Amino acid sequence: MSLTCDDLDAMLPEFLDGSVTADEATLAAEHLATCEECTAELNELESVTKLYREHGTMHLPDESRKRIAGSLGISE
Amino acid sequence: MTVAETDDVVDRPISRLFNEFADAIYTLGYRIVGDRHLAEDVVQETFIKVIRALPTYRGDGPIGGWIYRIGYREAITVTRRRREDPVDPMTFQVTSVPAATSVEADVLNHELVSRLDDAMSQLSEPVRAAFTLRDIQGLSTAEVATVLDVSESAAKMRLARAREALRVQLKEYL
Repeated sequence: MSLTCDDLDAMLPEFLDGSVTADEATLAAEHLATCEECTAELNELESVTKLYREHGTMHLPDESRKRIAGSLGISE
Repeated sequence: MTVAETDDVVDRPISRLFNEFADAIYTLGYRIVGDRHLAEDVVQETFIKVIRALPTYRGDGPIGGWIYRIGYREAITVTRRRREDPVDPMTFQVTSVPAATSVEADVLNHELVSRLDDAMSQLSEPVRAAFTLRDIQGLSTAEVATVLDVSESAAKMRLARAREALRVQLKEYL
């Protein structure tokens, strides 16, 4: 059995989360080895996550952190 | 910090919980509400509720998941209140820019962060929340489902929708 592009597309969320079975991972790897389009899509999806991991986290400004901690009666 | 890393913190003092989760709730709040001042309100209201409820917290799950759930509900409340009373038209201001090594790098970082914010603001609120929790904050899909109070398959669907929409919108950066 081999996967089509649609099969892989349906499996991508689990594949990206690493929650596929060993058999599914093998089938996906076999398809990706021969399909440039799906490989490019997978790489782009991984890049989206990487971009947001690196640049999407916010830091509560120090002044606000102190103000909120003070209002809550907690010492940092 | 992911939910799984917080299993043992139920006995930690509130100051420690605040230090560990303030940025995470601020990020979640900002990504849902789209305004840094309102995101600060989300942090404050979340921890008011955490302080009130902590004595009765049953410990039937990681405390991180519990705090994220409170934060998420608080962000939704603030968002709904804002829709009813839109006093501040600003959305998705650029507030967090990674350290840059030159003026040019600083400008590029600003541009990138601004573009990432814009792309996220195009997503629906539930989709944005799932993506923030999973792909920015690193929770597992099962944890995301618990925080959002949806099935795991619904969480997966939201994540897939977010990633695909962002992939299309951010093509030039990938």
